[in-house]
Amino acid sequence: MSLNQIFLENERFRISYYFSLERMILSLKSVGLINPPLVCFRDNHFILVSGWKRVLACREISLSPIPVQVSEEEDELKTFLLAFFENLASREFNLIEKAEILSKLKEFGETEEKIVRQFLPLLGIPSTFSHLDTFLSFSGFEPELKKLIVKKKMPFSSARLLSEFKPRGRKLLLPLLLPLGQNKQKELLEDLQEVSRKSDIPAEKLLASKEIQDALKSERLSPLQKSDKIRFLLKRKRYPSLSSMRDSFDSLLKRIDWPKEISVKSSPFFEDEDVSVSFTFRNNVEFQRHLRKLQKLASKKEFSNLFK
Amino acid sequence: MIRSRYLPQKVFVEAGSRDFPFTRRILKNLPKVPIEIISRPQELIENIKTMRDAIEEGKKYLLLTRQKGDFIKPCPCTPHYIGCNYYIINLDLNCPLDCSYCILQSYLSSPLITIHVNIEDLWKQLDIFLHKKRHSALRIGTGELGDSLALDHITESSKDLVSYFRRKRNACFELKTKTTNIENILKTDPAENVVISWSLNSYRIAQEEEKGAPPVDERIDAAKRVSDKGFRLGFHFDPIIRYSGWKEGYREVIEKLLKTVDPSRIAWISLGSLRFPPPLKPVIKKRFPRTKIIYDEFIQGKDGKIRYFKPLRLELYNKIVSFIREAGGKEVPIYLCMESGEIWEKALGWKPKGKEEVECSLSFPLDLP
Repeated sequence: MSLNQIFLENERFRISYYFSLERMILSLKSVGLINPPLVCFRDNHFILVSGWKRVLACREISLSPIPVQVSEEEDELKTFLLAFFENLASREFNLIEKAEILSKLKEFGETEEKIVRQFLPLLGIPSTFSHLDTFLSFSGFEPELKKLIVKKKMPFSSARLLSEFKPRGRKLLLPLLLPLGQNKQKELLEDLQEVSRKSDIPAEKLLASKEIQDALKSERLSPLQKSDKIRFLLKRKRYPSLSSMRDSFDSLLKRIDWPKEISVKSSPFFEDEDVSVSFTFRNNVEFQRHLRKLQKLASKKEFSNLFK
Repeated sequence: MIRSRYLPQKVFVEAGSRDFPFTRRILKNLPKVPIEIISRPQELIENIKTMRDAIEEGKKYLLLTRQKGDFIKPCPCTPHYIGCNYYIINLDLNCPLDCSYCILQSYLSSPLITIHVNIEDLWKQLDIFLHKKRHSALRIGTGELGDSLALDHITESSKDLVSYFRRKRNACFELKTKTTNIENILKTDPAENVVISWSLNSYRIAQEEEKGAPPVDERIDAAKRVSDKGFRLGFHFDPIIRYSGWKEGYREVIEKLLKTVDPSRIAWISLGSLRFPPPLKPVIKKRFPRTKIIYDEFIQGKDGKIRYFKPLRLELYNKIVSFIREAGGKEVPIYLCMESGEIWEKALGWKPKGKEEVECSLSFPLDLP
């Protein structure tokens, strides 16, 4: 079938987006198209059921005509299941693909009950209606956000947090999330949401605040620095007492002129009264020098404030 | 749950559990409730766990089954903080009340309200356990994985438990509740080694976060009636929760409590600030979207649980201890639940060396053979 005969604008059975064609093109150029894509006939057109990557890669290198399999199944759900099971057998699905699959199953008339009991386990998702709801909400995400989730391999927990923001909030968050790794993304989302809920200020309003906007508009800062600065601002709002205690601890170290070569740490979150110091040395002279410095520090009046 | 007594929509009886006398008693007390005998409770549990709110769904049903393991376990308390040497009896699992902060929401693997009906095994296990511990005083109770009295109109187990422990002088037995389900207690002779306890909170927290539980004043009135009957009382301010106006909120309820009940009849008051394992947070967020209690300034403690930043906890304890002392509870034993030695020292003026010392400070002088 000539590629022109496949009406690619109809994506009703498509579940995969945001993939790279590079390797597929290499494969096509090396050994040709081995597995024919699956098409069906709808609304006077042949449309693609399964094999989007293959067909798009063929189009990219103008490989046409190509062999195809034509499904004569007329039922939408049964046709979609052909695509689903073919993919299920051969690869893992990402978070957004899982969301699209579940959304399509529902769209094509599968009952929620059957989706929860039969399809969620097949997708490695806990078999609960809550999980179905959450994944269905992912399918409604904006395309740019879906792309970010796929490209950054965002974990379920962070995507779930995103689903709790309104579309406008998600749009504002996108540039902040882009430069960050998974852990920092989650931290930022959590802090923003929790500050918002605690203070009854919508997240969109918090993101539009002057200090956050100043950081975003700064020409001196790189995208990563902007995100980090905003993360820091949110952290201070979320944990004011802890931040203030950390500030006091740091400023005390400065005041008593704590030497940089000796590291000093409070217990995590100041939960214990313990303070630990560590330093490295190569010989007795260096060791003695560090000890003298520590003794000098300990004799300072303000030193005991470290333990308050 | 509404404030009236809990009635399940249906009782599921595991096939092997239907002939126990305790099962017959429970079913007799639920004459109009449909019953279904099931052979595989796990299938029912898994089915309910798929529901959008499995926890709420599970509260609609009662499962009668057997305790296949030990009824008695040491209270797990929490690592790295001071425990209280308490033992728990797992007769019931889960609770018809629906408190937003309840740890059972993420702690138990089954959402069903479950009663273990092989109570004869409990007595045997208790006999052996208490014999082994006969040279030490111990505290033991049923209110850890469920409310001790919320199902008592169905099970009447309080009568059996009080009667059993009355004869066990090295044990101090506690029933812990938020309910006013005290009819059976009032029909039972008191025993000095039995303590009936109430979990209390500020009026606002009780109203906003303790869905289905009676108002605080009704709990205090129930405590007064039980005290008048001759039982000793315990109170648990746990979890203590910060909010705008918390000081006034807790002072108010403490004053009311100590005006209503005789402080000399209070065996102990425990204090514990809000803390929870990390997996509970998304559950609370989803099930109680309006609550703000999880958005305060928490840190991850040494035990991995989420708890208030230390200075905030200390402020809570200091204030509440002073409210108790000022309101007439000068001599009432107070202990902290799952707290560090430093907090004990700063809030209560002494630091137990371990859970045995906490135990010693609380155990009523019992007759040890």
